[in-house]
Amino acid sequence: MTMKKSKLTTLAVIFASCSALASQAISDTTYGPFPITVKGYTGTKTNSVSYTGQMARHVLHDSLKKLAGTGTGEANPALEAEMMAYFSGSKKNKAIIAPVSKDGFKLKQTLVNSISSGKNLSGKSYKGVVNGWPGQMTGAEVLEHMIKKAASAKGGFDPNTGYNYPQLISKFAMGAVFYNQAVDNYLDEKLGADNKPNAKPYKDGAYYSGKEHVWDEGFGYWGAAANALNLSAKENYEVAKMKNFTAADFNNDGEVDLKTEMTFAHAYYASSYDKGGKTNYLHTVTKAFVDGRELISAANSKNLTDAQRDQLVGYAAVISSNWEKVIAESVFKYAGSVYKDIGKLEGLLDSNGDTTKAFANYCKHWGELKGFSMAIQSGKNNLGETAVKMNRMIGFGPVLLNASQVTGINSSGEFLKDEALSWGEYKLHMLKIQKLMIDAFGVEARANDQTEGLAALAASLGTSESAEND
Amino acid sequence: MIDFLISIFEHFVDPKKRIFLGYIILSLVIAFIWLIFIKKFSLNDAFSKVFDKRIFFSKSSKSDYLIFLLNRVFTLFISPMLITQIVIATFIFHALHQITWLDVNMFKEVPKTIIVGLFTLFIFLLDDLTKYFVHRWMHKYPILWALHKVHHSATELTPLTIYRTHPLEGIVFSLRSAFTQGLAISVFFFLFGDKVSLATVLGVNVVIFLFNVAGSNLRHSHIGIRYWRWLEFILISPAQHQLHHSIAKEHHDKNFGATLALWDWIFKSLHYSTDTEKLTLGLDENQTSKEHSLYTIYISPVVEVIEIIRTKIISSYQNIKKIIYQFLKIKRQIKKKLISQRKDNTNVKI
Repeated sequence: MTMKKSKLTTLAVIFASCSALASQAISDTTYGPFPITVKGYTGTKTNSVSYTGQMARHVLHDSLKKLAGTGTGEANPALEAEMMAYFSGSKKNKAIIAPVSKDGFKLKQTLVNSISSGKNLSGKSYKGVVNGWPGQMTGAEVLEHMIKKAASAKGGFDPNTGYNYPQLISKFAMGAVFYNQAVDNYLDEKLGADNKPNAKPYKDGAYYSGKEHVWDEGFGYWGAAANALNLSAKENYEVAKMKNFTAADFNNDGEVDLKTEMTFAHAYYASSYDKGGKTNYLHTVTKAFVDGRELISAANSKNLTDAQRDQLVGYAAVISSNWEKVIAESVFKYAGSVYKDIGKLEGLLDSNGDTTKAFANYCKHWGELKGFSMAIQSGKNNLGETAVKMNRMIGFGPVLLNASQVTGINSSGEFLKDEALSWGEYKLHMLKIQKLMIDAFGVEARANDQTEGLAALAASLGTSESAEND
Repeated sequence: MIDFLISIFEHFVDPKKRIFLGYIILSLVIAFIWLIFIKKFSLNDAFSKVFDKRIFFSKSSKSDYLIFLLNRVFTLFISPMLITQIVIATFIFHALHQITWLDVNMFKEVPKTIIVGLFTLFIFLLDDLTKYFVHRWMHKYPILWALHKVHHSATELTPLTIYRTHPLEGIVFSLRSAFTQGLAISVFFFLFGDKVSLATVLGVNVVIFLFNVAGSNLRHSHIGIRYWRWLEFILISPAQHQLHHSIAKEHHDKNFGATLALWDWIFKSLHYSTDTEKLTLGLDENQTSKEHSLYTIYISPVVEVIEIIRTKIISSYQNIKKIIYQFLKIKRQIKKKLISQRKDNTNVKI
């Protein structure tokens, strides 16, 4: 019996190792095309995959971020209105402000409606109260408040509060819209048997079934190119950075189609961590999406059996947990950046140096840290104590050079400041946040790890196990 | 099983371990030099002395070998449960941020060679000093002595006697090591940043390497190498450590040091070496072979520890009972006094 057990264990280990290796290898699988399975469909479509609405939201997000950094420092209602057009949607066919073509990297679309029309970010933003931001506002309200402030901040940066709005808006929106919609909606309640059943079209006349489209929408929010599994993490990263046209132009038509060939948002961050070689988030999540879509397609527009739905929920769990880890990796990374930035600022303050640039960098990284920390709280999991610790340690604003910090907001929406922590204590908070990300989410890439040197030093001494009498 | 075999193998091929074959061979060379050139033994006599089968096949030594093997198994299970140096280092590193007059990397500008030298020396000194104190406490406190006497029950010393250690004592040693390393690396990393590293030879702290190359294995052996008197104030000679294992009363609680004799000198527990041929090693004169049984080695210390704790609890309970009794007695006396005073007052009114 024991022998049998050990053999089984060995087989399991071999199988697991092979699976792990396979998951790291580049596959030739793509997300689509998948056949039309909806019964009675008479149209001309041959591919049931559709997630253009999500890709439109990715360009709305990128464009909004770009606009948020264009303020002049004066009140600017026109800029605010323009930003709101990208946030809340517009009847006009707005230009895609980012990403835009550059030499050697031609994009197929230049207008938002060329991807999908009538889309916005506001309607899909996190509906709960955002605890990490002052004012007890919902996700959409927080983003709108940030947009208003960004419009009058020079380059989107307000040195009085330390807020870098392009970063805050972008990173929080990635969580409040993309992550929230995917993991708390499409991969959650919409996988229910009676919610968007697979035996019916998603809506009347649609060429995709209920579950086919639910799954596609989740994939669209993830932001990976359809051929992400064919590319290495580094290549996917280069696609997002618009530095590798060959990798991006999958169908070799001389243009990068923003609907299917671009890497956006969380998929981009996943690739940035994976290229370090310690993690495989992008391929793990994308593979789970592809496997799930294959399962739904194979059901051929019949309602999923309980076993099939369990399997699909299993894929969704893989996606959600890895996605959450990708955001936690970002919180970890930027907590490390803020820690390092404070060190540089302290040095400059000691030597009476010019802190302008270092302070702006510090606030930029803080904005990314804050944005991602709010994003990770926008998923379906109640992070409870982890969220409380994170919000308290980061605070509502960065510690400023005059030892103050944003602590709240008044009834007019103006930020209130009060005495801040010391630099030493704030740096300690950053270290604790890094530790929290390891303990609570098990982050593995650990970019900008501020105690990595400590661990390396400990490793150089060898084990502390010492059961000997000298 | 594979982990167990690897662990055994590692002890002989890893230069971080005391019984690394390279160190054993060098110790043999030193032993021969000592016997032939200092003690004027012939080569044959020296050979017979070094490889004395009465020592290596004694009951004491055989139990050492068995304990070495059994302890590897215990270590495999216990080690993962122990707090590691990195946990302690992280805790201290965090705490240092709260000291306002200290800054991260405040001495980063110091040349790397100096930092590496300082760190290597600091960690060696701290390690050796904490070893001295833990060893001293092992002899001082009855609970710890109940564990440590397993090591002292060896009546013959061989290099493997260092592993004649009760697993609970091993836990104490591991905690000491984790604390020492955690403190050193956190403080140095905080003050000097990424420039900190250890000066090593074959991956081992250069000072420890020199100690091992200089015949550290001879401390637990029957080769009583003695140093010059002045050197025995600084470094513990093999003969000085062998004297630490002597049953003679005048040798009790002497020479606790691991590498340096300095600590014994400073804290007044130093004893120069004597002719080790005259020493009787072990716990006492009446020691029987029972002391080498597995029951005595592994179970008896635990029974003794429990008994010490039980006695302590009972005596504390008795003391508390006495205090309560005294308290009640005083309370009764005060009450009596108050009643009599009240009576007196009533009489006066009448």
